Amino acid sequence: MASTAPASTHHERPPLYRDVTVVKWVVQIIALLLTLGALWFLANQAGDNLKASNVPTDYDFLSVNPGIDLSSGIDTDPDTGGRALWVGMVNTLRMAIAGILVATVIGVLIGLSRLSNNWLLKKLGTVFVETLRNVPLLVQILFYGAVFASLDRVSLDVGPVNGWFHVSNKGLSMPRVHIADGFYQWMIVIGIGLFAANLLRKRRIAQQDLSGEETYPILSAFGLVVIFGALGWFIHPIFGFVGNIFDGLSSVVSAVPEGALQILVALLSVGTSVYWIRGFLNSRRTPAGLAKLTDDDYFRMIFAGVGGVLGAVFFLVLWPGLSSWMINSGSDLFEVLGNKFGNGRSGRPVDVALPDIVQVGKFPNYGPSGLNFSIGFAAVFFGVVFYTSAFIAEIVRGGILAVPKGQTEAAAALGLRRSTALRRVIIPQAARVMLPPLGNQYLNLTKNTSLAIAVGYSDIVQVGQTVYNQTGKTLPVVSIWMFFYLSCSLSISVIVNFFNVRMRIVER
Amino acid sequence: MSIDDATTAANDRLADRDDMIVCVDVDKFYGDFQALKGVTATIKEGEVAVVCGPSGSGKSTWIRCINRLEVHQGGDIVVDGIELTNDLRNIEKIRSEVGMVFQQFNLFPHLTVLDNITLAPIWVRKKPRAEAEGMARALLDRVGIPEQAEKFPGQLSGGQQQRVAIARSLAMEPRVMLFDEPTSALDPEMIKEVLDVMKELARSGITMMVVTHEMGFAREVADRIMFMEGGEIVEVGTPEHFFTNPTEDRTKLFLSQIL
Amino acid sequence: MQDANQVSASEEFQRGLEEGQGSPHEAPSLPVGQWLRKNLFSNWANGILTLLGALAAVVALRGVLNFVFSENRQWDAVRTNLRALMTLSYPESQYIRVWVALGFVVGLAGLSAGIWANWGGVSVRRISTWLMGTGALLALCVIVREPSVILGSDGKVIRTVDGSLRRESFMDAMADRSTWWLAAVLLLAVGAALWSRFSDPARRRIEVSVTSVVFVGLGLAILSLWIAPYGHYAYISATKSYVAESGRTVAFSTKMPWTVMLILLSGFFFVGRFFQRGRYLGLVKGSSNVLWLISPLTLFWVVLRDPALDYGHVISTDLPMGLAFGLLGGALLWGLTRSDIGEAGRITATVLLVFAVFNWVAAFFGWYPMLQKARISFLLLALAALLAPNFIGEVAKRRQLVLGWVGVTALVHYLATMINTPSTVELQSTEFLGGLGLTLFVALIVVLLSFPLGVLLALGRTSKFPIFRMLSTSYIEVIRGVPLISVLIFFSVMVPLFLPDGMELAELAAVLTGYTLFSAAYLAENVRGGLQSITKGQYEAADAIGLTSAQRTGFIVLPQALTVSIPQLVGQVISTFKETSLLAIIGLFDFLRVANSVIPAQSEFMGVKREGILLVAMIYFFFNFTISKYSQRLERRVGLGER
Ligand SMILES: Nc1ncnc2c1ncn2[C@@H]1O[C@H](COP(=O)(O)OP(=O)(O)OP(=O)(O)O)[C@@H](O)[C@H]1O
Ligand SMILES: [Mg+2]
Repeated sequence: MASTAPASTHHERPPLYRDVTVVKWVVQIIALLLTLGALWFLANQAGDNLKASNVPTDYDFLSVNPGIDLSSGIDTDPDTGGRALWVGMVNTLRMAIAGILVATVIGVLIGLSRLSNNWLLKKLGTVFVETLRNVPLLVQILFYGAVFASLDRVSLDVGPVNGWFHVSNKGLSMPRVHIADGFYQWMIVIGIGLFAANLLRKRRIAQQDLSGEETYPILSAFGLVVIFGALGWFIHPIFGFVGNIFDGLSSVVSAVPEGALQILVALLSVGTSVYWIRGFLNSRRTPAGLAKLTDDDYFRMIFAGVGGVLGAVFFLVLWPGLSSWMINSGSDLFEVLGNKFGNGRSGRPVDVALPDIVQVGKFPNYGPSGLNFSIGFAAVFFGVVFYTSAFIAEIVRGGILAVPKGQTEAAAALGLRRSTALRRVIIPQAARVMLPPLGNQYLNLTKNTSLAIAVGYSDIVQVGQTVYNQTGKTLPVVSIWMFFYLSCSLSISVIVNFFNVRMRIVER
Repeated sequence: MSIDDATTAANDRLADRDDMIVCVDVDKFYGDFQALKGVTATIKEGEVAVVCGPSGSGKSTWIRCINRLEVHQGGDIVVDGIELTNDLRNIEKIRSEVGMVFQQFNLFPHLTVLDNITLAPIWVRKKPRAEAEGMARALLDRVGIPEQAEKFPGQLSGGQQQRVAIARSLAMEPRVMLFDEPTSALDPEMIKEVLDVMKELARSGITMMVVTHEMGFAREVADRIMFMEGGEIVEVGTPEHFFTNPTEDRTKLFLSQIL
Repeated sequence: MQDANQVSASEEFQRGLEEGQGSPHEAPSLPVGQWLRKNLFSNWANGILTLLGALAAVVALRGVLNFVFSENRQWDAVRTNLRALMTLSYPESQYIRVWVALGFVVGLAGLSAGIWANWGGVSVRRISTWLMGTGALLALCVIVREPSVILGSDGKVIRTVDGSLRRESFMDAMADRSTWWLAAVLLLAVGAALWSRFSDPARRRIEVSVTSVVFVGLGLAILSLWIAPYGHYAYISATKSYVAESGRTVAFSTKMPWTVMLILLSGFFFVGRFFQRGRYLGLVKGSSNVLWLISPLTLFWVVLRDPALDYGHVISTDLPMGLAFGLLGGALLWGLTRSDIGEAGRITATVLLVFAVFNWVAAFFGWYPMLQKARISFLLLALAALLAPNFIGEVAKRRQLVLGWVGVTALVHYLATMINTPSTVELQSTEFLGGLGLTLFVALIVVLLSFPLGVLLALGRTSKFPIFRMLSTSYIEVIRGVPLISVLIFFSVMVPLFLPDGMELAELAAVLTGYTLFSAAYLAENVRGGLQSITKGQYEAADAIGLTSAQRTGFIVLPQALTVSIPQLVGQVISTFKETSLLAIIGLFDFLRVANSVIPAQSEFMGVKREGILLVAMIYFFFNFTISKYSQRLERRVGLGER
């Protein structure tokens, strides 16, 4: 056999331009450099242009009084730009969360009605879905806005339940439940309660598994939380010392030397890449020693190393302000927390305020004490809820249809009751199909609340636009939008993923 | 009879032929799992080599290394004098010189049978369409399905599809044909029609390397049978040697299970 | 399937996929009583649900009807402004251009429908149920709408003592609506007659083709223009306002053009039909596709703008330049496809590419002047040169490349010249075109442009190259994480800042860019779904027969991936179309903006919003519903719905 082996055992490397690995990585690196270069160029260009037109791109406006009034929100007369944007964010989130809840309920109902064997319900469901999802959301919002704007004028006795509930062309006003003095301490008590309840639940389940007797684990856990809540209502002031702890942390953080933190961050960057390379090498290790590394593997490691070092250089040289920023914001954060939890707060944790109608100048309007929804809010809310629920209905329908009929039959053959079969067999499988698109719809709903700009509801986009119209700082505002929406997207996908993973466990 | 003797016996008939496929100490890793452990073998021009062995022994991995669908990490593979390295040009050459037939046919479902066959000749070999089509029809004739040219793969039976796949590979006029369990996905009555085509091919003198469990086929047309296990070639020999008195215990065990 | 005897390759393919899936079988029809019991009152709960549903439906219907026919509605605002809604302020004297453009599109649509049409049939019994259903719905509407308000002799409403409106009695109202009754009864009668004539099992399956149903429907709609006076409007250019004017009806001014449109549609439909069986099918299909690609540009910039060509300039510069690029470029490509070209081909292509890219960089920094046309042409030439190795071989193939090049050059130079020439049309507003025309134009352009970009991104995201994957993924995810409105604002406000001195971009162009970039990210996700459905075996087979990765992508992977993702792509087209409504927010005059801001600002129609918005909603609904229904039909035919 050896006689037939070729003489050439040395490997001749082909010329670089014909080497697969080299070509592959060179092309990629060129693409990367081109992209970065283009971005850098555009950023530079924008910077120059902005400087030339005397609009510096800084974030000072966040702490300056913008002099704007907001149509609705937790603070309609914000005293800084940052506060204004914060109000916008809260408005957006409020709209998104309420919208998601209501749209899900309506969507599920409509989706189920499209599956029912009642002809009329099926047809009505179809008409609902087809009408709403084929008309652009903005058109719907503007239409609702126009309709609400033609409601009765607000007057001192506008109903339907005077003093409790008002509907008019200024929108909706109803009682408001709000956080009061002792809220944060109270939350600590409830947190402890939740923890204890979880322990109790587990113990009860273990008991039930042992004895076979029904021990109502969920119910008793819930009861425990209620007990803690009730207790905490009165005893929460004793947790005021938490505020002192946060104050202490604040001063500890502000005492951290800047230089040390800077070096720490740089080391972290290098360390991450070293850690990655070690992990990578470990993954290539075999019982018989290190496996042969391909050229790609070398390229990857070089890339990681260069990235880590570049990161370190970046933090050390190009962005020296990072550490002081980290220290300041960290100590500020703890200081704020210290205030919120501060000693000596002893009022009620939660309070209720009734709506009222006030007449300041010529025209009556809703006073600030009630929970007011402007017609802008109502228009956007109805718009996103109906629009999204049409899509959710389709997802629900598709998800349930995706479970093979054999599953229902198999469950019936096992003698499971219909409700048990639904809970244990059908819904887990349907949910697995439904969750990812459902998450997408929640994301869409959140993004769609930005159409509020068309009817003047103060969501983050509308507030942002007002702010940059005042200050001319478009770029910073846009960057805040981006950051905000990306965090929303990320949170929603994290939540959806969490449930998706759990679904899979349930299924197993 | 040792491995060397068997090789010599096979070499008697093919002694004066050139080497077509030469593998020396070929290693292949999937992560930390070594699928090929120093595989060394030579296949002569015009030889029909059958590779067999238990599932997971690395047969597919080896055969796929030969036209670089997988990249080997150690040792050398030389096909028709072209070494398989990172050289783009060599890869191009090997690919058009080595045909491959898959277990799952892998025909292109959106193209007609004729387009499946003419695609590579037209775009890789740069042949005029008329010529390519003429050749394709001749090949379809050869594999026994001249009347199916205008159909889509989805409309053919498994055996017919596999024969189209063979014709598709042959259309590149390869010097070597690789078969990876070409009949494993077929119903028994279709196996024969594919094997017949392969036998005819074998007699035509093309170099063939066949992974298969069809021992009847191996006995009839193979010049040599290679037995693999655990990523190594355990035993090599003529069909006669292999079926009558294999030397290795593992081969005996395998044969007792499969025959 | 009425044209089952004409078998083309692609239909065969579709039928291949369809195999084993019988035609959807119709449920056996029950007597009315049993049907009601089974579908509406099968048990107690069901009965209650039915009653509640019916109540809700009647209340909703009544609400809608009362809203639409309320004496407070000012539909005159919409009628009077129809032209503004369609094209904003396009001058009336030039309106023939709009009709020509529309006629072109309609004719092309007819041609394509004729070539591709195999829409199958619909059974006569289905049609009879539609007719009966429409009749019943109409009757229901007539009953539930509240009686009209009585007008006094002065034409004003009369109020009773407590301030509510005086309405006629229920019986009077019903008598007033006798025309509607007649229509409802007629529909019911025709439906019932058809139903009973086609009820025996032998005739139950008799079908008529969908196309003929569509044509009859369109024909009736257009016929009604000749009969029914649909309203009146006029634009008074002196005061720049729209007023209602009796005598000149919408029907009067549009019945002739619409009839011509119908003739064009059906005429070209039959032309397409004719070619469907001929041997020129491939040619006709190809040219209709090309026409679809270029018609939006040509119609928008050439037909509607009517550029004033300066023939001196054309002869001295444009023509020679086009010729030079066409001929010299063609000669170069001819050379590059010689079979003995070897490495020289690749080197030439690379040099050309570097040169072409450098021209753009130089343009950015203003290093040396060069006509934009030349820059574009050099870039295209470089791309063609990169493609050239694929066309090496027989003369026919080489000729294909060269002729393709000449065609593209001619087109690009023609369009560039026309776009660069000022318009002769006198405009009354800053925007060249507004209303529905703008909406459709933006939607079309965005769909066309985002398609290649989206495919590239999807390929990047599924590529084996980690950096490409990373770049595409982060682009897609960032874009998908932010709302469209913020992207549009960013582009309309910020793009001017990113450009170097002296370079300008019209707002519409900036918005189009932003919207295209946005849409591409979503499209990429849809295409990615298709790409993931391609099995590994397809890649390996393509590699094993020696295709290059570009060939593998173009011939094997993309055709299959795109076929699989047709439903999602259609969905994406619909959302793109819907989201063009956001143009209204950033200050472009699409037809939603006209309805929401322009009409309510006219002195005659102060604050009249709801009517216009409702019309806009109806138009959007019509387009989207039609597209989605057509796509569902297509899906069923291709058998994708089965997956
Ligand atoms: N892509 C891969 N990643 C990781 N391991 C792999 C991969 N492909 C194959 N292997 C492993 O390599 C070994 C050899 O696989 P191979 O497919 O070559 O076996 P085989 O001899 O062809 O078996 P069979 O007769 O079942 O086809 C197996 O243990 C398999 O699990
Ligand atoms: Mg195998």
